[in-house]
Amino acid sequence: MGRLLQLIIRNGGFFTFLLVEAFCFYVVIQYNTKQNAIFTHSMGLAAGHMLEKRREWVNYFSLQQRADSLQSANAQLLADLALAQAVQLPYRDTFFTIRTDTIRLGDSMAIHKIARPQYRFIAARVIGNTINSANNWLFINRGSNDGLRPGMGVVTGKGIVGIVRHVDPNFSAVMSVLHREAKISVTLKKEKALGSLVWEGGDPSIMTLKFVPRHFSVKVGDEIVTSGYSELFPKGIPVGRIAGEPIPDKENQYFWILKVNLSQDMSSVSDIYAVDNIFQTELDSLKQKVKDE
Amino acid sequence: MNKSLLPSVWRFIGLVAVQGLLLHQVGSAVNEYFNVLLYPLFILFLPIQISTTVAVLLGALIGMAVDMFYASPGVHASAGAFSGMARSVILAGFKPKGGYSGKEPIPAPEYFGWPWFLQVSGVFFAVHLFWYFSVNAFSFVYFTTITAKTLAALALTMIFVVLYCILFNPKN
Repeated sequence: MGRLLQLIIRNGGFFTFLLVEAFCFYVVIQYNTKQNAIFTHSMGLAAGHMLEKRREWVNYFSLQQRADSLQSANAQLLADLALAQAVQLPYRDTFFTIRTDTIRLGDSMAIHKIARPQYRFIAARVIGNTINSANNWLFINRGSNDGLRPGMGVVTGKGIVGIVRHVDPNFSAVMSVLHREAKISVTLKKEKALGSLVWEGGDPSIMTLKFVPRHFSVKVGDEIVTSGYSELFPKGIPVGRIAGEPIPDKENQYFWILKVNLSQDMSSVSDIYAVDNIFQTELDSLKQKVKDE
Repeated sequence: MNKSLLPSVWRFIGLVAVQGLLLHQVGSAVNEYFNVLLYPLFILFLPIQISTTVAVLLGALIGMAVDMFYASPGVHASAGAFSGMARSVILAGFKPKGGYSGKEPIPAPEYFGWPWFLQVSGVFFAVHLFWYFSVNAFSFVYFTTITAKTLAALALTMIFVVLYCILFNPKN
């Protein structure tokens, strides 16, 4: 402190000069319009420059945070993409139209609000399959842990495969369409005639379509699709084509007996999708109400 | 009051009057490059032995007085204080051989001769004018204009400085 004082005294002239100049500059800025304008402008520029520098530094130090938030946004997008793809899995299901461009990020329920898909598809792989018994079964590598329930339909991109009957945590047994108890509700795509598809054994590529009324003219090659009435399968999934000339039913003369060539080769089923009817419980309880009346 | 300071008092009054009433009017009548600032002569002709502190304060004082005529508070005062500071440095830089004897009360041509005086006053007025125009412009964006004004004003002012010294031949 003493040395500082000495320094000031020894350089008294210079310190006086600094003091006087500080005072003069204050007066100049305070009482001269031109200098005041220049000073204000310069201070504005300097402040702007400093704010800009500060912003750059803050940006630099928040890079990690921004990377983290981008990463989580990315994960969310991936989840949404997977969801969108899962919903679009029905290859030719025109039951609803999905407008994926309107799905808002992070709002997986939005898709239901817009499109209200009735079915969800759970991908699985066939790990066991028979076609030569009277009652055939498939085994798949997904079970109750993956959301499978008994009663779900099983399809491929080409056609129908069967119905889930028994569910373990990680595996399920699927009753093949090549089973004497299997009965699938289908329609002739052109004539809109309802019918019931059964397997009478023998050729694993041929099934029998019953209860199509005789007044419908049926031709060889007519397309058969699922009707959507059973809730096991979405409407319009391909099943096969009429393979032979229609024969009148001997037991019930008002109906045709039709041979159907399956579009899905049951001997080479590999990748399948279990069809989860999202509103199954709702529909069941509605049906129960009708039954109870 | 110290008798040796009395001429400085008269010089103060006279130079402020000439600067404010005559030279300022002439300058503003001609154009912005016509500037004659004679009042710093008061600072230069302060006693050689005077301390820098006093020179700075007196320089600011005469600057303030001139500012009243120029309606530019602080501008001439700032230049005056700077000249008070610069004076010490310049006089030390142009110290004659053997230093100042103490027999020369003020740095006038009477004691040191015209060549020495013209050098000292030339540098002194140059720095004063440069500082003055800088504070007046208040931004070195106008550096070219500041330099041009300084050179023009220096040439004009030196004529008046020489005239002043011939007319009054100041001795103390």
